[in-house]
Amino acid sequence: MSEQVAFQHIEKTSLIGTRIKKPDAPAKAIGKTRYINDMVLPQMLYGKILHAGRTHAEIVSIDTSEAEKLPGVHLVITAQDTPDLKLGFVKDNAPLKDKVRCERDEVAAVAAESEAIAAEALKLIKVTYKDLPPVYTIEDGLKDGAPVIQDRFPDNKSLSFKFTHGDMAAAEQKSDIILDDVFNVHYVTHCCMGTSCAIADFDHNGKLTIYSQTQYPYNYKMDLAPALGIDPGDIRVIQPPTGGSFGAKLDVYPFEPVAAILAQKTGRPVKILFDREEEFINSPTRQPARMHLRTGCTSDGILTFRAADVMMDNGAYTSWGPTVPVIMMRTVSGHYRVPVVDFKGQAVYTNNAYAGSFRGYGNVQMTYATAQHMDMLAEKLAKDHNLDPIEFRLKNAQKSGEVTPQKSFLRECALAECLTTAAEASDYVNKLNKYTAERAQEGRYKRGIGLASSIHNAGGAKIHKSDGCGTILKMDDYARVTVITGASEIGQGIDAVIAQIVAEELGVPTEHVNLVNNDSDLGPWDVGVHASRTTFIAGNGARRAAIKAKKQILAAASKQANVSADELDLRGGFVVQDKDGAVVTKLDKMLRQMHFQPEPDVVMVSDYYEPNSEPEGRDHISDHSAAYSHAVHIAEVLVDTYTGEVKVEKVTMAQDVGRVINRMGLEAQMEGGLAFGLGFALSEEMIFEEGRLKNPSFRDYKLPTAPDMPDLDIHFIESDCAEGPYGAKGIAELPTIVVAPAIANAVYNATGIRFFNPPMTPEKVARAIWEKKQV
Amino acid sequence: MSEIEKYIAPDTVSDAVKALSSGGVTILAGGTDLTPQVDAGRRSHAPTLMNIRRVDDLSGITQNKGETRIGCLTTVSEIKQSDLAPAILRQAADHFASEQIRNAATLGGNICNASPAGDMINPLLVLDASVELASWKEGAMEVRREPISRFFTGPGKTIKHDNELLIAVVFDTPGPDFVGYFRKSGPRPALEISTVSVGIGGDYKDGAFHNVRVAFGAVGPTPLRGKATEAMLEGQALTAEVIDKAARAAQDDATPIDDIRATSWYRTHLIAVFTEELLNNVCQN
Ligand SMILES: Cc1cc2nc3c(=O)[nH]c(=O)nc-3n(C[C@H](O)[C@H](O)[C@H](O)COP(=O)(O)OP(=O)(O)OC[C@H]3O[C@@H](n4cnc5c(N)ncnc54)[C@H](O)[C@@H]3O)c2cc1C
Repeated sequence: MSEQVAFQHIEKTSLIGTRIKKPDAPAKAIGKTRYINDMVLPQMLYGKILHAGRTHAEIVSIDTSEAEKLPGVHLVITAQDTPDLKLGFVKDNAPLKDKVRCERDEVAAVAAESEAIAAEALKLIKVTYKDLPPVYTIEDGLKDGAPVIQDRFPDNKSLSFKFTHGDMAAAEQKSDIILDDVFNVHYVTHCCMGTSCAIADFDHNGKLTIYSQTQYPYNYKMDLAPALGIDPGDIRVIQPPTGGSFGAKLDVYPFEPVAAILAQKTGRPVKILFDREEEFINSPTRQPARMHLRTGCTSDGILTFRAADVMMDNGAYTSWGPTVPVIMMRTVSGHYRVPVVDFKGQAVYTNNAYAGSFRGYGNVQMTYATAQHMDMLAEKLAKDHNLDPIEFRLKNAQKSGEVTPQKSFLRECALAECLTTAAEASDYVNKLNKYTAERAQEGRYKRGIGLASSIHNAGGAKIHKSDGCGTILKMDDYARVTVITGASEIGQGIDAVIAQIVAEELGVPTEHVNLVNNDSDLGPWDVGVHASRTTFIAGNGARRAAIKAKKQILAAASKQANVSADELDLRGGFVVQDKDGAVVTKLDKMLRQMHFQPEPDVVMVSDYYEPNSEPEGRDHISDHSAAYSHAVHIAEVLVDTYTGEVKVEKVTMAQDVGRVINRMGLEAQMEGGLAFGLGFALSEEMIFEEGRLKNPSFRDYKLPTAPDMPDLDIHFIESDCAEGPYGAKGIAELPTIVVAPAIANAVYNATGIRFFNPPMTPEKVARAIWEKKQV
Repeated sequence: MSEIEKYIAPDTVSDAVKALSSGGVTILAGGTDLTPQVDAGRRSHAPTLMNIRRVDDLSGITQNKGETRIGCLTTVSEIKQSDLAPAILRQAADHFASEQIRNAATLGGNICNASPAGDMINPLLVLDASVELASWKEGAMEVRREPISRFFTGPGKTIKHDNELLIAVVFDTPGPDFVGYFRKSGPRPALEISTVSVGIGGDYKDGAFHNVRVAFGAVGPTPLRGKATEAMLEGQALTAEVIDKAARAAQDDATPIDDIRATSWYRTHLIAVFTEELLNNVCQN
């Protein structure tokens, strides 16, 4: 064998841009994957939480004696058993409550032998409440003498944000057109197919192992510890396969410390798993927002200013939801060239549900407003000043190297290319004019086309002091690679991407790369999987580690073969001559020889990659991401003007992805991301009445189904990002962000009606069309 | 908690009916209504759970002497694919739930669940079907026939007694002139419970509509017949004016309510839209 290979030559090929299968896909498809939801530990108890089911009340008394007597019940706890334990973004939340502030509030918890016994025990807990006057609207929360929700915030004002740039009065003076509208974005929720689950297990040294769906295992320890009264160092986080997260698991929520407290006090592992109704009521939502947007423009189509006043219903507690203005304002100030900016954001406590982070993170909301204003301006400028709608956008589109008022440095900016590519591919302008003309004609069905675009961070987002990721890489005697990364896998596909990148560098098959990334005792630190950052950050880290390993191997091979290391390469499982691919030796043999030689060594390297970006900062003036990217969506719809049904027939997407890494994973992110935006635009809505959720089921919370999906025409624009791995940018959120306003603009093109308050349900659309006919 | 004490799965109709006579039995067919309702705590199991899916002869569609008979265990998928099922019934089957649910959901279950939004009921009203109810009386099985238009008394309520098994649906096999259409709505193209459904059928001959029957779903406490609309249409040529009048009569027939799925305004609006649409279909047939 070794004689034969000596004559072999191996060509240089690349995996980058090819289609790599997700390694866990077959097991998921045939039902073999053991999700956290399926896990059972020996001696495990089942925890269940009693939720208040009312929105604002004092807890006068809790009698747990009957529940405790039920056979099979091990423990019942209330806030009295967990005093002073805090959690949440401003530490305004607690595992169990001594006062009720919203419907979901966790009042007591039970650990029992079975879920059924735990559920039965909850019914035996007697709570006496004294209802307090509730607050269900932002206005009511801000009134003088309004009921106080959180004692530390007597005016009910929680987080606020501000950014201003330039001379607003002068900008208004210069403006020939000023648009002034209020957009109201509704409550939606993540609907992870795997409902929320945690399993907590203490050992005899007081160390907690928590099996969790978290997206940020390392800082999670820091957030969880104060809610348990233990040291973060005594927490080990294990992340079994999870059925989706999408931002829902970017914070610690009460069920997690409750499981841990029950485990601590019973000395047994405790599992809490929500059913679907619990999941709807007790999960974070997307942050709803009322966005008052003003946009100014000259008659020759140059934007003069944007002013946004964003009011947010904070709900009863503060998780990541009301922090979304951090991203909203980047779009207001930075999507298209906006010389003058005034952004204000204020969150107000109420007795409603509270929001967490959710794919798109504020930008889904804000782009719904900005992209409609751009469309309204485009229409006006076309009509009154004969300006082509694409030309108008191109005039205001930044070019590579421009810096926004918040100091986002658009090093590689492909917005113009995204615009022209999508517009040409969909024949946008012709269709727009044609459908506008057809709108006035008789007929039940109307077609429309609509364009929207946005910007998003594409090289992480430095909201913490570090936005980095650690990687440890080792190779064994059989040329198998193990990568231990801080990056979490929640279904998004970093498993495939890291295997691909490492295989690319080390010349091994992707199947020979094993990923270890679900145990905080093993993995090095990482911020978490969020902000479209993982391929960019962990991908860079994995690549850098692989390059280090490669150097080490080639150095050893160079000594042995007496050739300079830079004349060697790794390909197809061999050490080869770089210039002609002539085989020098087999890689596995080389690795064995490395630790059998006089100066023995194994291949074992580490890396910490910190992206080239600046912390967000209090003034919000910083280059907070190592890259930014743009996407343009053009939606084509068919509206049944009688029933109000909107069928999205096709979406043309052009997105600056920097460089395609795993083409299959990228396409899947485009499709999945779009489905989220589609539901947000058309059908998904949490319906609250007096703070209570009225539709906690998939029957009445309308997720899109397969036949709702439009045809997709996807165009990847490769801007070759200097900082990204092989030129790649982060990609996962833009598909969710851009599609809803594109649909809204298309519905306008079809009907002549603007919808500033999604979702555009059949009833809402039919009613608006009917009302328009009456006048 | 509702504990099932006993599970039985009889092979014959008479065994099944006999088992019902002693009371305390929950009937399980496809389970697509029963299971989620029990899970949600909206109903509980009786001590005995009787799976009727193993009973022979309760499944399938047959035609005999001008009568079509559909066994209670016939699934929605079977109806969707059968040449013996009238087109209006196949249309309803086609818009029903999803492939998986259609494979499990039975016609008998849909009727006995007695939801005002039950999609198979609407076309059966248009076909003027009857149900066959079997019970055990003095050592023998007894079967009574009741018109489906009289079967429902409220949401989830019917005239069927606890000791009765619905064994089949029967109706006169529609003649060559019969035309029938069904339409339902919901915000999604798939997996949708009707916010409104309309069915219209009759003999359309020489430009006039006879023996007209109209049914509405999800607009009242039970699926209902549109008597005013039927009277309005009977014997008429379907001119634009007649269709318009019928759409307005339909709005008088139905008195929908507001709920989280739709307002009464929208339901009323859709009734007119669908009535008009279906009558146009009839003309174009
Ligand atoms: C996801 C989903 C989507 C759905 N979509 C639709 C839809 O689009 N349209 C629609 O109409 N429905 C829909 N349904 C409801 C349900 O699938 C249907 O009503 C179905 O036909 C019920 O039949 P089954 O055999 O599953 O009934 P089961 O659940 O087995 O029984 C329903 C009830 O009828 C009783 N019963 C059953 N058979 C008999 C009998 N022969 N005699 C006496 N009593 C009997 C049972 O005891 C029970 O009370 C949906 C349900 C789900 C879960």
